[in-house]
Amino acid sequence: MAEALFNIFVFPGFLFVAAFGLTAEYIDRKLYALMQNRIGPPWFQPLADFIKLSAKEDVVPQHADSLIFKLMPIIAITSILTSFFYIPMWGSNALFTFKGDLVVVMYLLTVPTLTYFLGGWYSRSVYSMIGAARCLTQLFAYEIPLFLSILAPAMLADTWSLSGISEYFSTHPWTILFNLPGFVIAIIALLGKLEKVPFDIPEAETEIVAGAFTEYSGRLLAMFRMAIDMELVVGASLLAAVFLPFGLHYGPAAGFALYLVKVLFIIGLISLARTIVARLRIDQMISFCWKVIAPLAFLQFLADLILKGVIK
Amino acid sequence: MLVEEEKIRQQLVERFGLPAEKITVQRERRIWADIPAANFGEVFDYAVDKLGFVILATITGLDEGPTLGAIYHIARESGIMLNLHISVPKDKPVIKTVSARFPAADAYERELVDLLGMQVEGLPPGNRYPLPDGWPAGQYPLRKDWKSDTIGKTEVTENA
Amino acid sequence: MPERDVKLTIGPQHPMLKEPESFLLTLRGEKITDMTVRLGYNHRGIEKACEQRTYIQDMYLVERVCGICSHSHSTCFIQAVEEIAGLQVPKRGLYIRTLVAELERVHSHLLWLGVAGHEIGFDTLLMYSWRDRELVMDILAIISGNRVNYGMNTIGGVKRDITPDQIPQILTAIDTLEERTKYYIQVGTEEITLRERLSGVGKLSKEDAMRLGAAGPTMRASGVNRDTRRDDPYGAYGELTFDVITDDHCDVYGRTLVRLGELMQSYKLIRQIVRSLPAGPIAVKAPRKIPAGQAISRYEAPRGEDVHYVKANGSDKPERVKLRAPTLANVQVVAHMLKDGYLADTPIVIAAIDPCFSCTDRAIATTNLDDGRKDRMVWPALRTYSIEWYSKQGINFTELNRKLRTMRESN
Repeated sequence: MAEALFNIFVFPGFLFVAAFGLTAEYIDRKLYALMQNRIGPPWFQPLADFIKLSAKEDVVPQHADSLIFKLMPIIAITSILTSFFYIPMWGSNALFTFKGDLVVVMYLLTVPTLTYFLGGWYSRSVYSMIGAARCLTQLFAYEIPLFLSILAPAMLADTWSLSGISEYFSTHPWTILFNLPGFVIAIIALLGKLEKVPFDIPEAETEIVAGAFTEYSGRLLAMFRMAIDMELVVGASLLAAVFLPFGLHYGPAAGFALYLVKVLFIIGLISLARTIVARLRIDQMISFCWKVIAPLAFLQFLADLILKGVIK
Repeated sequence: MLVEEEKIRQQLVERFGLPAEKITVQRERRIWADIPAANFGEVFDYAVDKLGFVILATITGLDEGPTLGAIYHIARESGIMLNLHISVPKDKPVIKTVSARFPAADAYERELVDLLGMQVEGLPPGNRYPLPDGWPAGQYPLRKDWKSDTIGKTEVTENA
Repeated sequence: MPERDVKLTIGPQHPMLKEPESFLLTLRGEKITDMTVRLGYNHRGIEKACEQRTYIQDMYLVERVCGICSHSHSTCFIQAVEEIAGLQVPKRGLYIRTLVAELERVHSHLLWLGVAGHEIGFDTLLMYSWRDRELVMDILAIISGNRVNYGMNTIGGVKRDITPDQIPQILTAIDTLEERTKYYIQVGTEEITLRERLSGVGKLSKEDAMRLGAAGPTMRASGVNRDTRRDDPYGAYGELTFDVITDDHCDVYGRTLVRLGELMQSYKLIRQIVRSLPAGPIAVKAPRKIPAGQAISRYEAPRGEDVHYVKANGSDKPERVKLRAPTLANVQVVAHMLKDGYLADTPIVIAAIDPCFSCTDRAIATTNLDDGRKDRMVWPALRTYSIEWYSKQGINFTELNRKLRTMRESN
């Protein structure tokens, strides 16, 4: 019981993911700044931002639906945390595992996007409603490629369990290379899920102020931002578990270190993407996702299908 | 040297029978003309359509005492500027719009309406410029008799 | 089920707007079906203020119409006054004026490049181009003592001379900037997301550009080959060679290319000026009272043609001063460009005309927070009010000034 509580609240639960999330945000912002020839924030900046926001007054707009407005940030954090328990970090066993947990994790990771939509929609201001609408529209664009690219290795490994996937690939390491195109596609789709440039359309500051989060302030906004940071970490961990499952049998310490390296590598790729391109328009994004990324993900899926037949 | 400018001056004088001393060539690329308000429409159209003054730079409004003046600064692509000045009586300062030919004149003419109290016939409906909606009527800031403390402390409503 | 129209007001305060203006958009989904523009938020009554101040005071006032185009307005105004007074500015003065004008153009275009990058979510471009902008601002600080608002002009010429040791510094900076600009041109032509966001956006055909009276790079990107520096030369432009950059894209991408091309031309002009700077005086003495007369002066500001009209009546104060900034011409074109466009394109289309609303508008309405009473305050009343307010806090400015003077004198 005590161990379960420790797992949920400290490691690999709330405190760990929160701390890792803040660190990931720092690393992202620092890399972004260095690539732009700037100095960037100090290491404690994300923590300072969180504390400052929490200390400020929450203003709930008059016309907003108060219950949903306040509930959404909490649901966002809890669903992301819950999904993290099923993602293996070192070794091929996650904290909890069962057959089909991959589907549950993907579902739980969709919930935050829905909370952004609902929070924005029920804020009842023009900017947040446009942002909320864009959130959902963007969801329809990146979800399919993301799912397909993650399902490809799952199908190759013949299991719907994340731990099972890790186990399979660590015993057949050369198949990892086969899924690298899927890895690239998954990173692009992840940019859409995390709403980072070029896909930060729902939160385009210069167009719709802050999108779905326009009316949020104080503790609620702090929670939403924490949810976004956690999503970064959990998303990167998911990709590391599915596409880079090597070196899992060197014991917990080395395994954990390797896990950190993999996640930071993925975060580095995300920061690089953020720096070198401009923001796309929603119609361009949908067009790109459906005409380029989705077909490629499907091809990867087919390739894995064929490979599976060959192996058998 | 000022061959082209003199040619334009001649054409205006001959075509409209305007007194020659009312049209001056100030220097290269600058011609100033005083036009009677009644003739203005046809002189303007002639200059724009036949003489090639296709650019409207701006319209300046002036308070000249008993009259209000308007100078239309039009230019050729080659750089020559023709400045057409008209005067209308202050108690009935009505001029016709040129915004059909130059949509950009809309803003310039609204300035004349707001700041000098001119009336521009034919101006399409639209927001005023540059004064706010709640500005008290009858106050024309660019008129010489208007002092900035004339406005006093009055209730004002803001722009939409 | 038909989509409902949503009315979205952008402004007067909005993250995409650097200055206050109000755009009322009617949206169907993401498409804009209608748009009206409302200006006047920055109106400061400058034309009226000019009539009540002397020509020298007006020179300082007109310079402060805008921060980025300060030299444009100052030069345009002074050219008109010099023409009325019949003053012949010495060659060296004209060359220095033109040098600062071109440096201001470089500064303005680099600033625009960064702003455009920011509007489309390309912050990296913003950071790089503003880092390079520092180079040109340093040069301007070396020449004039200030990074913006240079105060170089005086009626009859310029106030400060270029010393021989400044010239190599200018040339080195221009060399670096030219290399950086070549890099931006490369980015502009090769970066896919940039091209995707800027192409086909804010379309303005050549006929519409001429009919609606667009100015500057906005008009030149639609293929209209006009530039006041070549068509109605002023300053030293009559003796310098440069190309007028036009483009046929007719959209925001074209405007980007035009501004980048103009940057390269400015470097060419600056080198010509610096290498052939004539010797001699930098100004002639101007009379305090300007004889009766009128003049109209045109200037190619970074944003387009700036037009100033001055009427003198023989006294030391002008009879009438009229300023028409280029943005007033361009903002009326924005409504046309945005029709049937996307909401997402609004920031970049508005930014593409390089709006400077401080130039365009030129009344303070106050709301008393305690009792909600709305007021209109005039400048002398505002000044008195603030002095009274500070003295209630125990701050007496006259005393402070006296102390400051004694401190300076004792040092």
